[in-house]
Amino acid sequence: MVLLAAVLVLLGVRAADHPNEAVSPVLNLSTGPATNIVAQLPVVARPQPARPEVGLPGDAHLDRTPPRQTKGLDLVKLGWSYNCMECHKMLPARWHYDRPMVEHEAIKLEHGNNRFCLNCHHATNRNAFADYDGSEIAEADVVRLCAKCHGTIYRDWQAGVHGRRNGFWDTAKGPQTRLRCIQCHDPHQPKFQSMKPLAPLTYPERAYGRIDPSPGADEKPAQHP
Amino acid sequence: MSAPIQANDATPKTLTEVYRPVTRRTFLKGTAAAMAGMAGLVAALKPLLALARGELTLDTLLQKHYRELTPPELERILKSLEAKCKKEYGVRPTIRAPQPLEGVQFAYALNLGRCVGCRKCAHACLKENNQSRDSADDIEMSYIRVLELEKGEINLETSTPYYNPEQVPQPGKYYMPVQCHQCRESPCTKVCPVQATWQELDGVITVDYNWCIGCRYCMAACPYDARRFNYHKPKLTPEAINRNQSYLSNRIRPKGVVEKCTFCLHRTREGKYPACLEVCPTGARVFGNLLDPDSEINYILKNKRVYILKEDVGTHPRFYYFFEK
Repeated sequence: MVLLAAVLVLLGVRAADHPNEAVSPVLNLSTGPATNIVAQLPVVARPQPARPEVGLPGDAHLDRTPPRQTKGLDLVKLGWSYNCMECHKMLPARWHYDRPMVEHEAIKLEHGNNRFCLNCHHATNRNAFADYDGSEIAEADVVRLCAKCHGTIYRDWQAGVHGRRNGFWDTAKGPQTRLRCIQCHDPHQPKFQSMKPLAPLTYPERAYGRIDPSPGADEKPAQHP
Repeated sequence: MSAPIQANDATPKTLTEVYRPVTRRTFLKGTAAAMAGMAGLVAALKPLLALARGELTLDTLLQKHYRELTPPELERILKSLEAKCKKEYGVRPTIRAPQPLEGVQFAYALNLGRCVGCRKCAHACLKENNQSRDSADDIEMSYIRVLELEKGEINLETSTPYYNPEQVPQPGKYYMPVQCHQCRESPCTKVCPVQATWQELDGVITVDYNWCIGCRYCMAACPYDARRFNYHKPKLTPEAINRNQSYLSNRIRPKGVVEKCTFCLHRTREGKYPACLEVCPTGARVFGNLLDPDSEINYILKNKRVYILKEDVGTHPRFYYFFEK
């Protein structure tokens, strides 16, 4: 049973390499190399994990995409539920892994001193997070989990000063949405990711040819068009 | 009784001196004066030509200052502006004139510790406020300039708005978006010779585009480079036009007037956040009502150490910067 689950996990990882490949509805595990098996996996029409609406529908011209876009778990894409315990009831967790993980390969844990999975994830219920006393924090209450360590930021977030709020500043007039921790920060690498800036201001042609920001460029005569 | 007769010491003028005949010199002088007068008259009546061509409506030509308009007059002008936009740009907007809210004073705060310099605010400003643009990425008329500064000092002289690295933030740099600070002691409104720009009751400084004569004194007076001038008729494609417009903020400006950030008053006076805040990926922007003790902006002013740009010029802005994780 454990072996079967491990095979499926590996399949899931490989399937992510070929997301656009056409797949037939027949699942045959016994024949062919692994890539062919992936090609035969059933097409699953399942919604992405529900993401709460950000901002107002009338503001379609404004790009309100949260900074962190989750790709969706590979296994979920393959038709598994979002229930972590489907595997983890068979795979108990250890406190510390002194080798690179083979299952959640994509996860690089760079969360400062916070180096252990079970600091945040609950030891016996993998669908929940762990509170100070070992009790469970529901998945939806992830903000409370982060607040365990980041109390001052949690306070600012509650006041509406950390993270973005969208919609109405005057809540008497309409709804307000606010982004939660994991919509901007990857919990495993919480540093805010750098991004490509949008198009810069161009120096107006009518003033002179172009601007050269390199050092010493000021000495050069301005190029008139 | 008889008044003493004063001796008249003026020399009597000759008939030729009193009734000067038309000489060549006087004729030319008179003709030149008449020509100049006619030219002046024609110049003064030139708007009527624009009227005849349909570039100008009678309502706009005879319009009073925005603050002297009665509601029916304002309503008629808004309708004619909508028709003008439909005619010139092919899109019929809804132009309203939202009034300042009772008990509301707007203020803005910006977290420089969080801003990554992605320029999303500057581009969102363009999408919201119908500024002229040569291409979709032309942010010259955007009300927001994002400056890249060296860490360790706040030195505007070494800052640049033209930075364009592959990734932001760059090490050793930080980023400061600058827009209209809606100063309480605003130099721009003081220098306007025709009072086309003024401070509204909620603190927003607005421009009556129909009253502005385009002298650009306000641009020279502004210490924050917050005002933009329409050198030509705004270039906008129909699909780029935001139809939710208001008279004092984002309606499409005519040529030759000054425009500026109004904290998106067509949004904020309806209780919504301004466009630049809506898109900020880091949540560095905080907007709210100064008079509400529980507002986000008051939380900032009470709990954070805020910094005022160019505090020494004494403008008392409604825009605050702070550094915070």
